[in-house]
Amino acid sequence: MEYVSPEGLRLDGRRPRELRRINCQLDVLSNADGSAIFEMGNTKVLAAVFGPHAVTRRSDVREEGAVVVCEYSMAAFSTGERRRRGKGDRRSTELSLVIRNTLEQAIMTELLPRSQIDVYVQVLQADGGTRCAAINAAVLALAAAGVPLRDLVAACAAGHLDATPLLDLNYSEDAGGGPDLAVALAPRLDQLVLVQMDNRLPVDTFQAVLELAREGCRTISSVMRGALLEHTRRLALARGMAGSSA
Amino acid sequence: MAAEPGTALVCPGDRLGTTDAFCPGEGVYVRDGFLLAAVVGRQRLEAPAEQGGRPVLHVAGRGGAPLVPKPGDVVTVKISRVGQTACQALIMCVGRQALSTEFKGVIRQQDVRSTEIDKVVMYDCFRPGDIVRAEVVSLGDARSYYLSTAKNELGVVYARSAAAGAPMLPASWVTMQCPETQTVEKRKVARLAVVAGQA
Repeated sequence: MEYVSPEGLRLDGRRPRELRRINCQLDVLSNADGSAIFEMGNTKVLAAVFGPHAVTRRSDVREEGAVVVCEYSMAAFSTGERRRRGKGDRRSTELSLVIRNTLEQAIMTELLPRSQIDVYVQVLQADGGTRCAAINAAVLALAAAGVPLRDLVAACAAGHLDATPLLDLNYSEDAGGGPDLAVALAPRLDQLVLVQMDNRLPVDTFQAVLELAREGCRTISSVMRGALLEHTRRLALARGMAGSSA
Repeated sequence: MAAEPGTALVCPGDRLGTTDAFCPGEGVYVRDGFLLAAVVGRQRLEAPAEQGGRPVLHVAGRGGAPLVPKPGDVVTVKISRVGQTACQALIMCVGRQALSTEFKGVIRQQDVRSTEIDKVVMYDCFRPGDIVRAEVVSLGDARSYYLSTAKNELGVVYARSAAAGAPMLPASWVTMQCPETQTVEKRKVARLAVVAGQA
């Protein structure tokens, strides 16, 4: 199977260094403290944030900071064939842990001791890059909820097929057997928050693929930033606060 | 990075200024000598606290910052259970801001008042359902915050009488009276400041 054509086009017509179309929607759920839908091409993920509130399990109380609880699940209709997944699914548990570790580094937990922040991520449509879209949706929901964050962490995946580094793999490219490098970056601080790789990749090409993923993260973070500012501006206008100067 | 911040909207991670020019306020944190925003919101500049100090830079997120009670905060609580040595309460407001979720607090016998603390009868100070103004003493144990009413301005601010269920009026710092049945009930009453000009 050919993943990059001789003209340099991928299966969906993108160039190797092109991201899929990104769409962000904020405050989509009224009962959550913050919520967001993040779309990357056909991958669509919904995130809801509840908190900070009192810790539900007394044994989990932390004096130094907030406890972040994260749950990742995929809707039965999200993949090509409808498949009902249980909550204890191995992949879901692993991804919940990965997303939780990423968010714990982005949230300033030391400002909210003895409290708990719940993050629920639900994949509505899966077409490759679900863990990255889940992290992006969770960060948007946290920012919309007003939880203090160190930076707008963004995640992006990159791979290497047909001797070309490819940015933002979709499902067919992901299933192609090549490496899948998922990276989350804090762009203003220029710090890697998550680096996770599937399959194998020679060390010489790793640097190029990592750098490509980091570039993707920076671009996605600026798109998320634009969406957050636009949404806040529209809210301020609706409440009649536009034009009020500090 | 302009010297004057303006009122632009900022996102978490945005650089707002340097620590030589500004002091960090709410919604702002410091890293490597720079001030960075922590929430989505508008920048706000506040005059320096002391003479010759640096102005304080805040970022006001919408809906206010997530609020968690800290030691020293004056909170408004509702009594849920009264025991022999302590009574349990639900913290509903911190200062003037209502909380979206309730935190659990406890008022121990020795924290009810400042005099004769071993002779306190809890049932004569609080009843379930009373609204009490208290101060957070410490983060407490795993279950609840430790609260104290050992000041004149702390104590019961609203209570309904057992006889008629009408809101009672304070009669002294230990009694409240029901306006309908004239019965007097014992409570540890808060002395609220009288505003000049009001009857």
